[in-house]
Amino acid sequence: MLGKLTWGAIPWDQPIPLIAGAVVFALFFAVVVWVIVKGHLPYLWHEWITSVDHKRIGVMYVMLGLVMLFRGFIDALMIRSQQALAFHAAGYLPPEHYNQVFSAHGTIMIFFAAMPLVIGLMNFAVPLQLGVRDVAFPTLNSTSFWLTATGALLVNISLVIGEFARTGWLPYPPLSETQYSPGVGVDYYDWALLISGVGTLMTGINFVTTILKIRAPGMSYLRMSMFCWTSLAANLLIVAAFPILTATLAMLTLDRYLGFHFFTNEAGGNMMMFINLIWAWGHPEVYILVLPAFGIFSEVISTFSGKPLFGYRSMVIATMFICIVSFMVWLHHFFTMGSGGDVNAVFGIATSVIAVGTGVKVYNWLFTMYGGRIRYATPMMWSVAFIVTFIIGGMTGVLLAVPPADFMLHNSLFLVAHFHNVIIGGVVFAVMAGITYWFPKAFGFRLHEGWGKAVFWLSVVGFYAVFIPLYGAGLLGMTRRLQHYDFALWRPWVLAAGFGMIFLVGSAVAQVIQLVVSYRQRELLRDELGDPWDGRSLEWATTSPPPAFNFAVLPNVSNEEPYWEMKRGAIEAQQMSAEPDYKPIEMPHNSPTGFITAFFSTITGFALIWHIWWLVGVGLVAAYAVFVWFAWRDIEEYEIPAAEVARLDRERRAPRARWLERNAAGRPA
Amino acid sequence: MSTVDAFMPSGRGRDPYRLGHGHREAHHLARGHGEGGPARKRVVVAYGFWIFLLSDIVMFSAFFAAHAVLQTATAGGPTGRDLFDPMSVALETACLLVSSFTCGMSAVATGARSQLWTQFFLAVTGVLGVAFLALEAHDFAGMIAIGAGPQRSAFLSSFFALVGCHGLHVTAGLLWLGTMMAQVFVKGFRPNILRRLLCFNLFWHVLDIIWIAIFTMVYLIGEGR
Amino acid sequence: MTGENEVLAEIGENDIAPGVTEAAGYSIREGITTYAIGFALAVLLTVASFATVKTPLIWGPGIAVMLGVLAVAQMGVHLVFFLHMTSDPDNTNNALALAFGVLIVLLVVFGSLWIMGYLHDRVMPTGDMQQRMMQMQR
Repeated sequence: MLGKLTWGAIPWDQPIPLIAGAVVFALFFAVVVWVIVKGHLPYLWHEWITSVDHKRIGVMYVMLGLVMLFRGFIDALMIRSQQALAFHAAGYLPPEHYNQVFSAHGTIMIFFAAMPLVIGLMNFAVPLQLGVRDVAFPTLNSTSFWLTATGALLVNISLVIGEFARTGWLPYPPLSETQYSPGVGVDYYDWALLISGVGTLMTGINFVTTILKIRAPGMSYLRMSMFCWTSLAANLLIVAAFPILTATLAMLTLDRYLGFHFFTNEAGGNMMMFINLIWAWGHPEVYILVLPAFGIFSEVISTFSGKPLFGYRSMVIATMFICIVSFMVWLHHFFTMGSGGDVNAVFGIATSVIAVGTGVKVYNWLFTMYGGRIRYATPMMWSVAFIVTFIIGGMTGVLLAVPPADFMLHNSLFLVAHFHNVIIGGVVFAVMAGITYWFPKAFGFRLHEGWGKAVFWLSVVGFYAVFIPLYGAGLLGMTRRLQHYDFALWRPWVLAAGFGMIFLVGSAVAQVIQLVVSYRQRELLRDELGDPWDGRSLEWATTSPPPAFNFAVLPNVSNEEPYWEMKRGAIEAQQMSAEPDYKPIEMPHNSPTGFITAFFSTITGFALIWHIWWLVGVGLVAAYAVFVWFAWRDIEEYEIPAAEVARLDRERRAPRARWLERNAAGRPA
Repeated sequence: MSTVDAFMPSGRGRDPYRLGHGHREAHHLARGHGEGGPARKRVVVAYGFWIFLLSDIVMFSAFFAAHAVLQTATAGGPTGRDLFDPMSVALETACLLVSSFTCGMSAVATGARSQLWTQFFLAVTGVLGVAFLALEAHDFAGMIAIGAGPQRSAFLSSFFALVGCHGLHVTAGLLWLGTMMAQVFVKGFRPNILRRLLCFNLFWHVLDIIWIAIFTMVYLIGEGR
Repeated sequence: MTGENEVLAEIGENDIAPGVTEAAGYSIREGITTYAIGFALAVLLTVASFATVKTPLIWGPGIAVMLGVLAVAQMGVHLVFFLHMTSDPDNTNNALALAFGVLIVLLVVFGSLWIMGYLHDRVMPTGDMQQRMMQMQR
């Protein structure tokens, strides 16, 4: 009846996951009960869960990402503390548990922290910057989010019911085959990623279509903001790379469930084929994460330097160059596989060449700052820290791109330090900058600057304190994923890295305090104008937070920095434009489709993991029923009357008119 | 046209850093190329679906790559030459090719707003799809019966996965087709139904294109090995 | 808006949905003709493919090349006559997306073949190794 699921699946003998799980579930239920008792459920259901508004979905993505970032961070704490203790000793995590911890850490950080954070910021900002009302397929967008949440949920369920994969964040066969991993760990990994992968793919389709087909009048390709360009490139990569991940994991699943022989030792299977295919997805994935990060920095650096982005066109070319070339370097993840000199040389050179695109970008950022009136607000500080940190990470990357050097450094902590250097220094810094930058737009008040700087300094110092020692340990030959070791030379480096974690814990605490303090002082930090940073792109042309329809009338774009242009014009003319002719606006209806789809996906995924076949059948039939039900609905849109549009737009215009009067002398902006 | 900005763009701001930025050449006012504002819903939906189909093709390419690499990994078991029946493959190909044509005919009938002919050609398309699946299932059953199932060798694993994946797509297409016929019958040619019919057409034609790659690479070249 | 208007409005808009013919005076007859020509060409190419395998006229190793050429040609026929891809500027977006997809497909398939082929030559798969060892023992 319940397949492989028995009471034995719950790890009664392991206090750490059990207590952690109990705390998480207790918190979760407490929140649910609180929501129901306080009567917030209808609000939550109508305004958030069923919302198809890109801004709400973006916020939910970021919240999911932050929660999972926290979960992944706890795994990181366990890894570093285990290694700090396990010199000539067993430490406190037994190997089978330690292996799950580092596997979960990588999986969660990439798929359920970094991806939702980046996609969340794209969701929030791209339609606003394009000057339109929503993405191309709003309901699909909601479905994407909920499928991602399904994946995250499945990974977290594995904490208390069964186990997670012990194979590392990419389940290399033959270790991940049934013969060597008979438990449900790899199955949790497979189905969580297959389901959330579908969600990510649909996001990619949605955003490619949005950026290419839905833009404000007059916004030609070369007038889009840099964040829109990098989002376009990242989403093209999603569309091209995630199907490969899906196919590869499907093959592994067929091996495990139906006895196929894609990657097995026996019957002609070829395990290297898995490594080849998974990295054909894996390398573009790196750029899916970091390209939007580049976009955020471009926006932030230009805004806070008070200058247009230097070398806009070269930036566009560099972005698209990276987009294409990122598909031609995947072998550098397995130089040591034994493919021979020719192959390794070609991919080594391609890898070095891709750094040129990034180099172009770094110079453009530097020249944007050059001669500018730089304001060091928190987002700008993250950006400057990024430039320095990312260059270090990039250089160690070019070092690893040299095949002979890679043979020495492969699988060492040097590699671990390198990719944390680019992902934390690139993606996490960008996400922090982006959240601080767009937070006032999303919620109508700024984040507390002092606590923001505390988070910044603790994170940057913590990052260097943890990962520079890991470069050292790696150069001394320490391999990754060691549960314990007895080589005295590594000991000080590992201890230093463990010590550095204290700063990162501090930054996490400061982050929570910043959110609480900002919320309590929200009246003080209120952004009434809707343009808190003296911005340049269209998202600052509307109120904070924007109305559901974003823009009362679609803006007319005539250059790369449409809002800056409008602002300059208004300051020169010293008056607001005449009130436009307001028309009623059609907006898509809320839809529970995404939530219901995710609900059945969770059930189906769980049933598949535990081989509960009847439940799989129920889930699939329900999926088809939802499809037909969704296909049959007729009224897709509701109308916001012109009077309401006018009212909201006048609310937006009033503070701006006041600002114009106050600054009639013509502040240089 | 009115603008959204509260700050009236009555003139260009003077900005010392503006040198070399912004281009003034005349833009053609094409929708969807940006200049003319958001594209029409029909274009947006079809384009989005087109992108989905390309991603689907990329997914197939991973299965094709696996099959190409594992084609010779028969592990001492039967090869393509031993197993494939050219007659059956030819029949399957014919079914799909003709169904692609009738699917196109249904699009023409939809263009003419003929409920009867649209339904007729969709039904024929569906029948041919079912025939294709039946033939394929028969082939698969025959192979499994003589011990040449996907568990036998890596070659057969990749064969069953690739061809089976295409078969699953056809199955999903048939479910969609049935739903579409019911919708056309109940709702008639509303704009949203027309958009979905367009997407279905794209889907069905692309499945046939993938089949070309399958019968060429898996069956015809595979037989030669 | 009725469906007719939406379809008509698309014409002359410099942007067109994939899978749609853009001819202004598009008639039923023209539609049928396009599909019929495409169908005839596709049948011809399919028959040629199946005949290539059987015929003794082509040098053995050339057969695979011939099949590849025929397959690419037939895909082209399907794209042009069934999916109505053209080189028209209105179709640029659709064609560019297709080109990107084709590039990725080629990279994945031929990249994998190149990498794995090289690997196969240099590192013996387990199965082969066992076989060779058995042979050597004999």
